[in-house]
Amino acid sequence: MSHLSMEALLALREPGVEPGDVAAREHMESCAACRGELERLHQRAARLRALPALRPSRDLWPAVRLRQRIESRRWQQRWTGVAGFLAAASVALALFWGDVARPEAADASAEIAAARERSQVLESALEEYNPELRVIDGRTARVSQALEDRIAELDQQLEAAQLRQVQRVEEEQQEARMLQLWRERVGLLNALVDVHVTRASNVGL
Amino acid sequence: MTLTRTLPMDPYLVANADAVLAGARQGDAAALEKLFRAFESPVYTLARRICRTAEDAEDVLQETFFEVCRSIGRYRGEGSLWGWVRSIAASKALMRLRRNRYRDTDELDDATAPSRREDTALRMDLEAALERLSETSRAVVWLHDVEGYTHEEIAAMMGRTVSFSKSQLARAHVRLRRWLGEEVDA
Repeated sequence: MSHLSMEALLALREPGVEPGDVAAREHMESCAACRGELERLHQRAARLRALPALRPSRDLWPAVRLRQRIESRRWQQRWTGVAGFLAAASVALALFWGDVARPEAADASAEIAAARERSQVLESALEEYNPELRVIDGRTARVSQALEDRIAELDQQLEAAQLRQVQRVEEEQQEARMLQLWRERVGLLNALVDVHVTRASNVGL
Repeated sequence: MTLTRTLPMDPYLVANADAVLAGARQGDAAALEKLFRAFESPVYTLARRICRTAEDAEDVLQETFFEVCRSIGRYRGEGSLWGWVRSIAASKALMRLRRNRYRDTDELDDATAPSRREDTALRMDLEAALERLSETSRAVVWLHDVEGYTHEEIAAMMGRTVSFSKSQLARAHVRLRRWLGEEVDA
């Protein structure tokens, strides 16, 4: 008498009915050996499921965390590279705009006022974000430091231009110069906000 | 959100599942560690049963959780969290198995213990017998009989056919039966 193969016994454990299952079930009815074999198969699977859970011999979480941090830092560095490029592009654009778009005397004052206002908005955004209290990587720190240094230089130049304007020295030229400086300042502040605030929201800080 | 239908879970995690998951999605280290602690043992068990060495299993555990940390934002709560983590772990373990395929031959199994081949009286411990199976057979047995994957799912994960999965399972059970001394003379 031929008995059911292991494939046929295993097929009986699967849901649904495959071709050949009916004949196999009929055989089972009359064959105690195959019934016993199927029972042992069930028991073996149950014993496999009952094998004890295993644990690694050491704590691997620190290694996972470290790898995640390294990956995250790489990602930030890549992003900072892009941010640095964007910052440089913003400054270049501001300078270019300042060079090609010479202000008309009539609306120069209004434009300076608008640039001043825009500067204040950007400074408030930075103040709210408070970069001093944030942890940033080396490349972000270098980019923001360079932008802040340039803003400080611009502020000195703006102060000097304002003084000359008050003293009525080359009044019209000073106004044009101030507008150019304010535009550049807005460009630099935009870049600084990009570096800090946008970066922070991208990396979920 | 369902954490798991089968695993005993840390009561804190069960009670705070949504908060932990939300924290993990934000990259909160404490929340991610809670997930690691909850699933560390089941992931390692799965990996250790499939991989040949403890070192391979530890690597799979690390790779699995590195992937969990990176992709937790993509888990949308469809199906249990354990099901999602387990699919990552199974995939990583099978990837390692493929990488080590050169070692995975039945000939190697038999060559390492030639004297055992015809020893039908031998009673082996189930764990030892499982360990002695080829990596592919062991993976199919574990994924099918313990983790509950279907042959279709196993075939898809292994990049093989359903017939391959079925025949590997049958061959493995024939061997386990012999090694465990469960053969009955007809």
